[in-house]
Amino acid sequence: MKKHIEVNISHADLMSVASPGRYVGGETNVIIKNEILNELRTNGYTSAVRVAFGFPDVYEIGMSNLAMQILYKVLNEPEWCSCERAFSPWPDMDKVMRDKNIPLYTLETKSPLNEFDVVCFSIGYEMAYTNVLQMLDLGGVPLKSADRTEEDPIVVCGGPVAYNIEPMADFFDAVFMGEGEEVDLELAQMVKEYKDSGKKDRQELLRKLASIEGVYVPSLYKDEYDLEGHFIALKPIEDGIPTIITKRIIKDLDGIPYPTEPVVPNMSTVHNRAYIELFRGCIRGCRFCQAGYIYRPVREKSAQVLCDNGIAIEKSTGYDELGLLSLSTSDYRGLPELTDGLLKAYEGHHTSLSLPSLRIDNFAMELMNKISSTRKSGITFAPEAGTQRLRDVINKGITEEDILKSVRMIFEGGWSTVKLYFMLGLPTETMDDVKGIADLAIKIEDLYYDIAREKDIKVRRPEITISTSLFIPKPFTAFQWEAQDSIESLGEKQRYLKSLIQRHKSIHYNWHGFETSVWEAVLARGDRRMAPVILDGYKQGCIFDAWDDMFKYETWLQVLADNGLTVDQFIGAIDVDAPLAWDHINIGVTRKFLALERKRAYEETVTPNCREKCAGCGAACFKTGVCYE
Amino acid sequence: MSKKKYDERVLAMTKQQHLVHYVLRTRFARKGAVSYIGHLDLMNLFGRTVRKSGLPILYSQGFNPRPEMVFALPLGVGIDTEGDYVDISMSVPIQPEEFVEKMTPLMPEGLSIVSVVYKDEPKNSLMSVVTMAEYAIKAPGITECVKKIMEMEVVEVEKKAKGKIVTNDIRPQLLELHEDASLPDCVEVLVKAGSTSNLRPESLLQACTRYAGLDPEDASNAGVTRLCLYGGEYPNIKRIEEFT
Repeated sequence: MKKHIEVNISHADLMSVASPGRYVGGETNVIIKNEILNELRTNGYTSAVRVAFGFPDVYEIGMSNLAMQILYKVLNEPEWCSCERAFSPWPDMDKVMRDKNIPLYTLETKSPLNEFDVVCFSIGYEMAYTNVLQMLDLGGVPLKSADRTEEDPIVVCGGPVAYNIEPMADFFDAVFMGEGEEVDLELAQMVKEYKDSGKKDRQELLRKLASIEGVYVPSLYKDEYDLEGHFIALKPIEDGIPTIITKRIIKDLDGIPYPTEPVVPNMSTVHNRAYIELFRGCIRGCRFCQAGYIYRPVREKSAQVLCDNGIAIEKSTGYDELGLLSLSTSDYRGLPELTDGLLKAYEGHHTSLSLPSLRIDNFAMELMNKISSTRKSGITFAPEAGTQRLRDVINKGITEEDILKSVRMIFEGGWSTVKLYFMLGLPTETMDDVKGIADLAIKIEDLYYDIAREKDIKVRRPEITISTSLFIPKPFTAFQWEAQDSIESLGEKQRYLKSLIQRHKSIHYNWHGFETSVWEAVLARGDRRMAPVILDGYKQGCIFDAWDDMFKYETWLQVLADNGLTVDQFIGAIDVDAPLAWDHINIGVTRKFLALERKRAYEETVTPNCREKCAGCGAACFKTGVCYE
Repeated sequence: MSKKKYDERVLAMTKQQHLVHYVLRTRFARKGAVSYIGHLDLMNLFGRTVRKSGLPILYSQGFNPRPEMVFALPLGVGIDTEGDYVDISMSVPIQPEEFVEKMTPLMPEGLSIVSVVYKDEPKNSLMSVVTMAEYAIKAPGITECVKKIMEMEVVEVEKKAKGKIVTNDIRPQLLELHEDASLPDCVEVLVKAGSTSNLRPESLLQACTRYAGLDPEDASNAGVTRLCLYGGEYPNIKRIEEFT
């Protein structure tokens, strides 16, 4: 057991880096357990379980993450457990820490990560993998699970990337599948027993952890490949280890504690607002969307509980904006009741609501007129594909008529800024579909001038922005077997689209770099052979890969080749019957259903949403939510 | 928005009566973690805290209403203070006692209210009142260094402005060295501050390394505390509370 030390960063060091507020803590609503801290200061030791919650990106991003706020509260609830926060130091601070041998510390008690019993990461995107290694490395924790001893923390992670964590399998002792509110504490409880008995047998603890529903212990499994390098299987190395790990979900969202007193950063973050969570899951079933499958089934919170949350959170934070979070705001059935309640409670407070992913209809227009802050900002649509054919392929239940009707409403309401999100490289995409993107934007441009003429509005130039991202085949989607489009083909499509809108001055085109998307696909569908690649990349200086200006594609390609692997191995088409590196994880939605959805995609057949008609995806096995409404 | 709707809105706004600002001139202090945030962040932090108090804050008009607050002088990242000021406007008169009572338990760690006076509609903006600031600067041997600087006639330092390096003379901005209050490693100085002429403590530290042999490492590690802000014309020093 390492004796407690308090890391002290000098004033000069803080003044030498950008945004020193990232590294000092002291925020409103922060939780510091004084009894535990006193114990640490006097004895250098505590019997409580100490969890360091790491977010593998910079402070401003991590502090806007709801999962971290939720689990911070949950893990600080029991007397015998405490949870503190740590973030990735930006490269300037990273350098200071390495040069001066300052270990990465938590913001609450300034303790080095290697002092904790558990180091837990919430990982929202694959490109954050190298930052996990950076944090462990700076925190003095051995990077590989196999190299850790009883002296070292148990390193765990959760989040959407956990469903295929194979590329990071070497680095995590245990992985949470699904929602963490309950399973986090179950793991902490086992660590408590391990700690109470003097931390004798780490291996035995890992075996025990594997018996918790929803916990995956990578080191207890071995991967196999055929001679051509195709993945064949992942098997437990001993008896008594589950062959399938089923994700955990919270059955009743009203019944779990919600962080109505979240930590409020002193400095500005990505979003300076409080959040409430309307529901989990999505009834829509877009075939490319991982979130749409992995969070099934849809479970709603009641409008009453949400309204109470919203009132409490405004009081405890002082924020002047409340974000209503979900994958599709308009699908929340209690939305009128909730927004009415909140607007009434906030009367005279100048607190506004932020409603992302709201479908524009009469109700939405009325609501937006009541919320002043949406006035200036533009309205965003995500048709994802340019033609009806391709929208049917991806099961995006939205027609051109829907879009134009909504756009008409917002133009008539006085807005003139529209953002349109599309994806390039979707399965079955042709140049006609690419042309469809330009056609739609041009129709919207024409519509603006038509309405201006009809209504005799002073004509401004509308601002129509097309953004294209690139399709990335993700595990646990109907398109998990698909190939990613080649860089050459994508380049051609991008140039074509650009040429089509060139003469239209009010249409702007933003696009996303190809390289990051290719690498994201490699990581998303990677297997355990990627672990040494990620480690080598990190050693060569790759961190903050999610930041375009920091991403080093050439380095990654080199490292991949050095490890005897190719990009094509991971982004190419996979046979529908072939074993997948993530087959040992059960998200409820069955592989059979995903294959059926893929077939329907190729037939251009739409699957009704969960509320229209149950498609039999398999998520009903959790016996809750929309499946039992 | 249609022309008609727009006109209606403008009319509604012009019809609105002029709102009286019932001001609480608040002297505040900060130290510790909260000293490492920028001025805008500090303003937002104050805004959130006032909002939490439930006091009848006056909000700015327009599309994006914010609590009406005026800060006397921006406070740089990493600088502590014992005597900065903010005017916080209320829509009805609020007694300083009530304000302090409601705000104190809500103040973030390291940020505190020192004293509050009530001002009925101040005539001068708080920002225009400030002309001088008193700083305590801690660094080994700093007092001797500043003494040397004060003996010079011209003290040129370099400053980055809009990407260019500009040289200017800070000597006229150095007003007093308070000998009796200073220790060898902690100097107290009175300098010009505010919108017309402002000496930043970094510039003084730079001068000390350049002309008086202060170790650059010590200079970057120097602890700076703004002790108080003042108004008036030197040597006629007036407290900020005195201004109406």
